[in-house]
Amino acid sequence: MTRLLRTLALLTATGFASPALAQDTIVLGVSAPLSGAAASWGIGTDWASQQAAKHINDAGGIKVGGKTYKVEVRSVDNKYTAGDGMKTAETLISRDKVKIFTQSVGTAPVKAIQALTERENILLFTSAWGRSVKGPSFPLTFTIINTPDEVLAPIYATVKQRHPEVKNVLMLNPNDASGQDTAKDATKFWTEAGIKVLDSLYFERSTTEFQPIATKIVSQKPDIVDLGGTPPANAGTVLKELEVQGWKGVKVIGAGTGSDVLVRTGGTAANGTYMGLAADFDGPTATEVQRKLNAGAKEVLKESLNVIHMGGYDGVMAAKAGIEAANSLDPQKIAEALPKAVFDISYGKAAFGSKDVYGTPQQLLIPIVVTQIQDGKTVEVVRIVPDELKKRLGQ
Amino acid sequence: MDLAAQLLVNTLQIGSVYVLFALGLTLIFGVMKIVNFAHGEFFSLAALVVAVLMPVLAPALGLPLWVDFLIALAAAIGAVLVLGTLTYWIGFERYLRDLVGSFILSVGLILFLQGVFVEIFTATPRPVEPIVTGTISIFGGRITAQRLLIVALAITFTAMLYLVLQRTKLGKALRAVAEDREAAMLQGIRYRSISFYGWLIGVSMAGLAGALIAPLTVSQPAIGGDYLIKAFIIIIIGGLGSIPGAIFGGLLVALIESIFGYYYDLTIATIIMFVLVMVFLLVRPQGLMGHVER
Repeated sequence: MTRLLRTLALLTATGFASPALAQDTIVLGVSAPLSGAAASWGIGTDWASQQAAKHINDAGGIKVGGKTYKVEVRSVDNKYTAGDGMKTAETLISRDKVKIFTQSVGTAPVKAIQALTERENILLFTSAWGRSVKGPSFPLTFTIINTPDEVLAPIYATVKQRHPEVKNVLMLNPNDASGQDTAKDATKFWTEAGIKVLDSLYFERSTTEFQPIATKIVSQKPDIVDLGGTPPANAGTVLKELEVQGWKGVKVIGAGTGSDVLVRTGGTAANGTYMGLAADFDGPTATEVQRKLNAGAKEVLKESLNVIHMGGYDGVMAAKAGIEAANSLDPQKIAEALPKAVFDISYGKAAFGSKDVYGTPQQLLIPIVVTQIQDGKTVEVVRIVPDELKKRLGQ
Repeated sequence: MDLAAQLLVNTLQIGSVYVLFALGLTLIFGVMKIVNFAHGEFFSLAALVVAVLMPVLAPALGLPLWVDFLIALAAAIGAVLVLGTLTYWIGFERYLRDLVGSFILSVGLILFLQGVFVEIFTATPRPVEPIVTGTISIFGGRITAQRLLIVALAITFTAMLYLVLQRTKLGKALRAVAEDREAAMLQGIRYRSISFYGWLIGVSMAGLAGALIAPLTVSQPAIGGDYLIKAFIIIIIGGLGSIPGAIFGGLLVALIESIFGYYYDLTIATIIMFVLVMVFLLVRPQGLMGHVER
């Protein structure tokens, strides 16, 4: 009897306490790589997401139906693989009762997560680069960074304009869903830009030595090498090997996010590289929020934030905007309300749109920034504010 | 660029690190009859220590970069020896010649140590400034002076290990234990002590490989795992427990990677390596230079 009473007391103190907590707190999920080679993306994403949660809580929380909720972010390691992506979805949905994923990193894990979130009526914000994760088939998925359809045309046009002599390109991407999607989109956009694609090569993410790939690239004498979705550390190594083996041409990383790491690994070989996702959050065009976040990340993580990290912050802010616009915690209602909302994120005012491109307005409209590494520093070359965003903001 | 020369130069630079890494793994198997799945973590630790120390030492000491590198290398090996001693005393000593127990222990260690490394070193990729700069052409094949230096050091360390195993009393004891533990013990060789020394030499080889690769790549806590797969392929082809086998296997794997990576792609090269492993396991499980277990 005493044992039964103790058990009941324990249940009261633990299990029964949870619903009370859940009533006042909205638990938001993050699925990102927290270990392995891509861990720096996940750790920065988690940190930026926590900062957004803190910002919201400090400002009084989220108001829904006359009630105020605090926000809590729980991040789970997807190891940048589809298998672990699925596990993170199961953990966050079953254990933590998460109804909104504010950030999910990596096309391969996100594809796996989507299989569950779309079926279980869960809202999914993602920085997955591939086009295959969005569109009318995925009504609950919202993309919170620029992707190939936003970035590649401007970056390739910039390259063509600045280097009119270039005729062909050779592409290198990781051999997974992210890389294959990138190669497919890049092929389309290079061809549209009038550049011939000589070859499209892939490498496994576990590749440690890039000399054979560099030799193969150099032997084909491309005018441009596009490292597409190659992670910055690997990209730096490839650029260095290309330089050693005597290749001199135009370097492009369409999905290049981390110029710090690229410069540190590639050294002088990184100079001149054009990148599509490497915003400078310390630079003159960064917002006050971005500068503050970047300074905090440098202090805590010893690393500058990149666009994917910033997606962690923006995902939480977008979730808040969606909940408040819908005045509901129901993911379906939030998904319906979000495309009509204009809200604050790290870039300033933003909204979801691009229905004409994807068939649904689920792409975050933020500035498209093409940067180039000049003397080891990231320099903004082109900045385009989407026309649709200007219209929504009445500019 | 002369293609044949470049492919051979690629083989040499890739193979030198593979050999060094695989030597430690095969030595530990030979002496302790365990497969150390956590071998890559010793590699990662050394690479990370070098990557962390190099940027600190240069401004603090004001010495030439190669002196800083030697200090960082010594510190890295020191850290590996401390971790090796702890993991041996706490765990592996209890699982000598126990393949299942040591497998579970070493897989657990991977998860534990990777978590610890992320906490200590963070997951940020860490490059190291080159110790020497410039590019050298060998019969038309281009290689950085930095790579060439690392290749030379890897060859020197491999030769030193070979000499220790062939010429010294410790080396002979290690080989005797690897050959026939009971017979070695009957000759008065203390198996547990020799196992411990074999373990320390083995993990130090992983540490040396990690420390040498640090200035050539980008160190992060999971880097060792990528090399571990190659090391397993190498020692299965070369022969589990065989030192010459690890050297030959390392160079063969590098040659496959270099040639097939160029003419096809690295994925095909990896598939060929795995097919080779399957063929060896079916046709000649002791590898090219290993001994048949009786």
